[in-house]
This record gives sequence, C-alpha cells and structure tokens, in this order.
Amino acid sequence: MRSPVLPLTWHLAKSSGRRGLQSHLLAAAASAVGALILLVLLAATLGSADRADRTAWRTPDAAPTQRATAAQTLTTTYVRDKPVTVVTLAQLPHRGPAPAPPGIDRFPAPGQTYLSPALAKLMRELPASQLGDRFPTRTGYGTIGDAGLAAPEELVAVVGRTSTDPAITRATDGGEVDLLAASALVSGFDGASPSAFTASDQDIALLGGGLLIVPVIVLAAAAGRLGAASREQRLAALRLAGATPRQILTMTGVESAAVGLAGALVGTLAYVLLLPALTEVPYGIGTWYAEELWVGLPWLLSVVLALTALTALSAVSGLRAVARSPLGVAQQADPRRTRKVRLALFAAITGFVVISAQSGSQGTMQKLGLIVLVYGAFWILGPWVVDRLGRTVGRFARRPATLLAARRLSDDPRGAWRTVSGLVLAGFVAGFFTVGQIGIIGVHYPGQIALPMEHGNPRVAVAQARERLKEAEVTATVRTATPDSILGATEGVVVQVRGGQAAIDTAITALTPLTPGNPPRTDDYPNAENTAVNKLIGQIGLASLALGFLVAAASAGLTAAATVLDRRRVYGLLRLAGVPLKVLDRARVRETALPLVVLAGGTTAAGTFAALEINKAFGTSVSASGLVQLSACGVVGLATMFAALVGSRPLLRKVTEERSQDPD
Amino acid sequence: MSAVLAGNQLTKTYGSTTALAGVDIEVHGRESLAIMGPSGSGKSTLLHTLAGIIRPDGGQVLLRGERIDNLGEERLSALRRKRFGFVFQFGQLLPELPAEENVALPLMLEGMPRRKAVKQARRWFEPLGLDGLELRRPGQLSGGQAQRVAIARALVIEPDVVFADEPTGALDQTTGTEVIRLLTTVTRDQGASLVMVTHDADVAAHCDRILQVRDGRIGVHSPYTSA
Ligand SMILES: Nc1ncnc2c1ncn2[C@@H]1O[C@H](COP(=O)(O)OP(=O)(O)OP(=O)(O)O)[C@@H](O)[C@H]1O
Ligand SMILES: [Mg+2]
Repeated sequence: MRSPVLPLTWHLAKSSGRRGLQSHLLAAAASAVGALILLVLLAATLGSADRADRTAWRTPDAAPTQRATAAQTLTTTYVRDKPVTVVTLAQLPHRGPAPAPPGIDRFPAPGQTYLSPALAKLMRELPASQLGDRFPTRTGYGTIGDAGLAAPEELVAVVGRTSTDPAITRATDGGEVDLLAASALVSGFDGASPSAFTASDQDIALLGGGLLIVPVIVLAAAAGRLGAASREQRLAALRLAGATPRQILTMTGVESAAVGLAGALVGTLAYVLLLPALTEVPYGIGTWYAEELWVGLPWLLSVVLALTALTALSAVSGLRAVARSPLGVAQQADPRRTRKVRLALFAAITGFVVISAQSGSQGTMQKLGLIVLVYGAFWILGPWVVDRLGRTVGRFARRPATLLAARRLSDDPRGAWRTVSGLVLAGFVAGFFTVGQIGIIGVHYPGQIALPMEHGNPRVAVAQARERLKEAEVTATVRTATPDSILGATEGVVVQVRGGQAAIDTAITALTPLTPGNPPRTDDYPNAENTAVNKLIGQIGLASLALGFLVAAASAGLTAAATVLDRRRVYGLLRLAGVPLKVLDRARVRETALPLVVLAGGTTAAGTFAALEINKAFGTSVSASGLVQLSACGVVGLATMFAALVGSRPLLRKVTEERSQDPD
Repeated sequence: MSAVLAGNQLTKTYGSTTALAGVDIEVHGRESLAIMGPSGSGKSTLLHTLAGIIRPDGGQVLLRGERIDNLGEERLSALRRKRFGFVFQFGQLLPELPAEENVALPLMLEGMPRRKAVKQARRWFEPLGLDGLELRRPGQLSGGQAQRVAIARALVIEPDVVFADEPTGALDQTTGTEVIRLLTTVTRDQGASLVMVTHDADVAAHCDRILQVRDGRIGVHSPYTSA
C-alpha cells in the first residue's frame, strides 16, 4: 500500500500515550460488552428455535397410510406437577421396518421403555406406585440420548407397544386444540410441530432481545464517539498540518475500527468462555445443551463485523466537524433544542397502545409490537424530558454543582438521555415483567383428577376407579364428570383426591390403565401452555433486567469517563483556578442522577401500567412479590450506575492534575 | 514599598531539567508585570509557582508577607479561588454555561446566592465591552470576547493578583491588543496586580515592568516605564 495514511495512523496510535490508551481501552471494553450481550441474545433466540426443533419429533406427522411404517402417539402425564412427555410407538405389521427415533439406537419393540436421564432419576426417587407403574415395564429401561431431548431436565419416555394395543388404538389426537396429545400413522420422525412446552421460547426470547438491542447499539456507538473525542485535538492538528479531510476520516475510521474489532473479539472470547456457564441458565423447560447455545461461526463473524462497523461509523460521524474545518473543533455553538412534537408523538403513541390494548384479543406478535411501540415512545420522549428537567432545575439551582449539571442536561439532552436510557428502559422492563405479571390461571381444580372417556361407559369406569383407588389406598370421591370440572364438556370420570401431592400421583398411577392412550389429567393439563408462557416471561424479564443493568452500568461508566476526557482542559484549568474537585464531581453525579431518578421512576411506573393495560384481556393481577423484586432491582441498578460513576472519579482527579502537578 | 507577592530564591527542577534556578521576584500593588523569554525558559513554571499551583523545590513564595508555598493543597486551592484570578490562553470557560454564569461561578463557589452573584457578574460586562453578550455561551463568542469573559471571571472576586499565561496567544494582533489594553486597565482600576506571561513584545509593552527569563533565571530587568 502506497498511501501514507495507514502507517501514519499506526504511528500516531502508538505514540498517543497513556491518555490515548485509556480511551482506547474504554472504547474496546464497551464494544466487548456489546458483543457479549448481542451474542447472548442471539444464542437465546437461535437456541430456543433449535430447542423447539429438537422436540418436534415427538408430535407425529401423519404419513399417507400406504407409506406409514409405524403408529405413534403423544400423551402427557403429570408427576409432582411436572409434565412427562410419553411417546408410544408401534411397528405396523407387514410394513418395512420403522426408523429409530432420535436419541434411541433402534425402534422400540413392544414392552420396551426408554427414559430420559432426568425421568430415570425421578423414577428411582419415587415409589413405583406414584410413577413407575404408569409404564408397562418396570425394569431394564433404555436411555434416551441427548439427540432426542431439548434440555437435560426434560422428562420423556418412549414406550414400545403392539399396533393393536389400546394405548395406540384408543389414543386421541388433540389436533390444534390440545397440543399435549396427538396420534397418527407415521413413516419417520421428521415432524415439524414443536412441543407445547418449547413452542413459545423463541417469541419470548425475541421480546427480551427487542428490549435490549437498542441500549446495546447505543453503548457500542458511544464507544466510537469516546475514541473519537480523545483524538480530536490530534486530528485537528493534523488538519492544520495539511492532512485532507478524507485522510483524517480514514485514519479515524481505521483506528476506531481496530479498537472496536479488538473489543468485539474480546466479547466473543468471553461468550465462548462463558458458554458452559450460560448453558446452566434455566429457560422454560430447563437448562441447555452447549450446541444449542453455540451460535456458529457465521453469526460470530457477523456480530464482530457489526460492532466493528458500528464503532468506526459512530467515530467517523462524530469527527466530521474536525474534518471540515480545522479550527471548528471546539464545541457546538447552539444547544440542541428538543421540540414539543416529541411530547405530542409520545401521547399519540401511548394513546394508540392503550386503545389497542383495550380492544383485547391480540396475538403474541401484536402484543410484542405494542411493547416495542411503548418502548419507542420513550425514546422519543426521553430527550424532551431531560431538556425540560435541565431548564427547570437550571432556573432554580442555587449551588454551582447543580447549576452546572442542569446546564449540561439542557445543553445536550439527547446525550444525557443516552446515558441513562439503559437503566430507564431496564426500569420499564422491570415494571412490565415483575409487577404486571400476567396472571392467566385458566382453571383451578386442586386435588381433582379427570379421566376423559371417549370409549366405554363412564358408570362402569366409576366403579373400576373406586376399586383401584381403594387398592392403592387413596381416599377419594369418584363420580361421573359434570361440566364444572377439568373435563368441561367432555364425558368421563372425575376423582377428588384427599391428601397431598403423593396421594394425587398415586391416584394418577392407579387410574392410568383405565383409559389407555388418554392418561388421567389434573388441572396442570389444561393450564400447560399458560404456565409455560408465564414461566418464560418471568425468566426473560429477569434476564433482560440483569443484562439491562450490565448495559446501563457500562453506558454510565463510559459516558462518565468520556465526559472527563472530553472536558480535560476546562476541568484542569478550573482546578488550577482553585475550583474544588468536589464541585466538578458533584456536577457529574447530579447530571446523571437527576434524569435517572425522574425518568427511571416514570418509566417503571409506565412499564407497570403498560403491562396492566396490555394484559387486561386476560385479567392481570398485580403481584406483591413483583413489587419487592422491582424495588430490589431498582436499588441494584442505581447502585451499579453510581458505582460506575464513582469508578471514573480517579480518572477525573488524574486528568485534572496532569498540568498542575509534578510528573510521577 | 512592600510587595503584594514575592518569590525568594525559587528553584524547580524536572528530572535533569532546571526550570527555575533561583529566582527572586517582587510584584507590587496595582502593578502590571510582564514575563518574557524564549520557549522553555521557565516562564510558565514561574507563574505557576507564584500562583501556588506548583510547589517550588526551594525558596519561598510570600503573599502580603505570609508564606504560601508550604500550605496544604486544600488551603492553596482556596487561596487561588479567593485571592487570585486566572486568565489562560483559551478553553477555560465552561461551554454549557452562559457568559454571565461563567463569570458568576467563582462567587457562587464562595457561597454567594445565585441571583446576587449573577447581578454582580453583569457589572463587568460593560467595562469589558461585553454589553449584550451576557446570555451567550462560550461557543457563540469570538475568541477575543471569550478572553474578555475570562478576564471578567478572574476579576469578579476582586483578587489581589491576576495571573495570565499568554492570554492573547490564540488571538490575532488587533484583538489581542484590545484584550491586553482592557486586561491591564481594568485590573489596575480594580486595584489588583497583574502577572502576565507573553511572547509578544507589543503586548508586554502595555505593562509597567518587563522581566526577561532565561534558563530559569531572571535576566535583564528592562524597566519599561509608562505609568
Ligand atoms: N511537568 C513537567 N515535566 C517535565 N518537564 C517540565 C514540566 N513542566 C515544565 N517542564 C520543563 O521545564 C522547562 C520550563 O518549562 P516552562 O513551561 O516553564 O517554559 P515556558 O517558558 O513557559 O515555555 P513556553 O514559552 O514554551 O510556554 C522546560 O524545559 C520544560 O520542558
Ligand atoms: Mg509556557
């Protein structure tokens, strides 16, 4: 390469000394945090899809009758309130051999039972009368390998039977309505419908990702600006010395891209090293297999490239002023005013959201859309509130530190908003997920066990059930089903068990043979999907909060450091003139604390409100434990932010001392 | 005639560099003193030592007869805030504060209520030719205007001594001359002394006295009598 730009960039970067290094390190750190969080979000999203795919083989995908080789049913039975997925398989006579299902080396012969390791363990722990007796075999189980499971904790059984077994012939196909039961003739195991317990994983993970992506991008962009700010003087000098704008932009771009790249690589490395720990984070059905959370090289590369580009772009765009005029570096002449339109827009958007939420009956995607809208509304409103806040406080401030902080807020409301946005939006998420938890409890029949009966006579079944329960020594009343039961309109038998969970599990086990192909149900059964989704939302809410705080603290720390580095000269000179460091430091803290307290409080309330509104259709309950969680999160978040601010105090001291004191 | 500020046998070294090699200097009341000399001769070091920013390795600094070179950092900082004013080459104004608040800042730091401080600050705008610029922010001021705001800020606390290190270094000739004229006259009217480092002989000519510094020593005394 003949161009002198690259070698010169390298030379200047090397010789920029400790100051240059400081801001390079900070910028790289921000890029690293950004890369790590992006990869974690990607891993959760892609991993959720992967996991759902790994459960799809259990729901039979009907093959044309002539080509079918086996009969497959899917049923779900509950033990200790946890779902056990039971896949029953039967080779069809006079047909070619059926293939082996995933995780098992051969097609199970009649009487053979394969268990997932977690189920095998549970079976060893519980008496056979509570769990083991629900399966035809009681000894010599096979093991379902990882290939057939989506999570190590999954409770899955594969049972081999003959094709004439009632468990096969009488099994019902729940179709679209009941995703926990299915039955069909199959020719293989390449079904496409994921289990009801993993089907929503990706949607909810995407929701978390959607909430976090903007703060992450803001963080990475801030990294670029930080690097650029510290180079401004030097580049202005170069410009005076005759470098062309293009050369300056190239140098800036190359240098910050290198910094962004280094940070992104570190973040990627952190992701790789953290992978074993990440697999231990429970989500939905349980923890993860490493391969599910491994995003793969193409995604790794994309994230690294994206962050590198983002850092470079924001650095270059921040530097255009220097490139244009050598002396026009110093500062913007006019404070960037924010307009009232923002308030109007915010009102319009929230109004729209409230109205749409009240009209009810949205699908998941629409609900997500509404959340994103509310979220966007805050990005519009935030700077305006900061600006107002700055002007109001500026009018009444009595102490110099407060005045300084207020003036800085209204000087660059968008910048101030960016600093606190991470935590403010985390507050929104917190309010949304913790307090306004969706309380969808479809049906509530404690102690009830229901036997759906599409075949046979319920009256006869009642007598049989009484006998079996007596033998199992369970106290219970048995009657034919009324509409007010778990079964609703379906015919069957309803058992009311007295006693705890052990009695219920014993009763289920004792009653299982009565309705082959249709295991007895507790109220867990109709609630399955809602329970799964609620759990997912709770977990994603917590994860978003934790990551949100990480981003927020990184943003705050970075901005605090950037402020100090940017103001090096004026702060240094003020200190020479005798302005106490304390005043400068207090101004810095107030500048973050003011908008934070006002906005985070506001958005947390709004998040709670939004959750209440959006879920109104389902009847939301405000959870008291959620309030406690929320306050705890608020305290932790604030503490983290201020730790980040205090963390940059030594930098402030050092930077302002540089001109006045002896070299060390 | 007793000196407002005096340095006795001041020495300062940085590693093997001798920045001050035994300087004796006196600054009298209402006097303006220019310090000239080649680059690296120790002018800024001398100014900073007199102003209590740098501690000398040897010698004493006396303000109205009392030693200040041995005070603690806190006391020195308070002293600079209350008794000295500073005008630097550029970039000393807080960019987000309007001019009048920049000027009022030292008063507010001393606990004066904001309204009163701003009112007092405004009084300096007219004599410094800054009328009507009270609410401009530094980014909206020309270099010369910004320096005059800096002068107002240095004088607002009614200091004993104003220190200026190349206050016109970033200005063109005409603007620089105007700023210096204002700096010397307003400082004298105020009853303060002025210690100014400059490279520019024309600028120095506005002062009562010129000191030449060479290799950390006071060279030729050239009493440039005017007043
Ligand atoms: N912090 C420091 N560390 C090391 N050497 C220093 C430091 N400050 C000043 N010096 C050295 O002390 C000598 C005097 O510096 P000083 O800044 O006083 O010069 P000056 O006369 O103000 O020069 P100029 O006209 O270029 O501003 C120089 O050789 C300088 O390199
Ligand atoms: Mg100097």
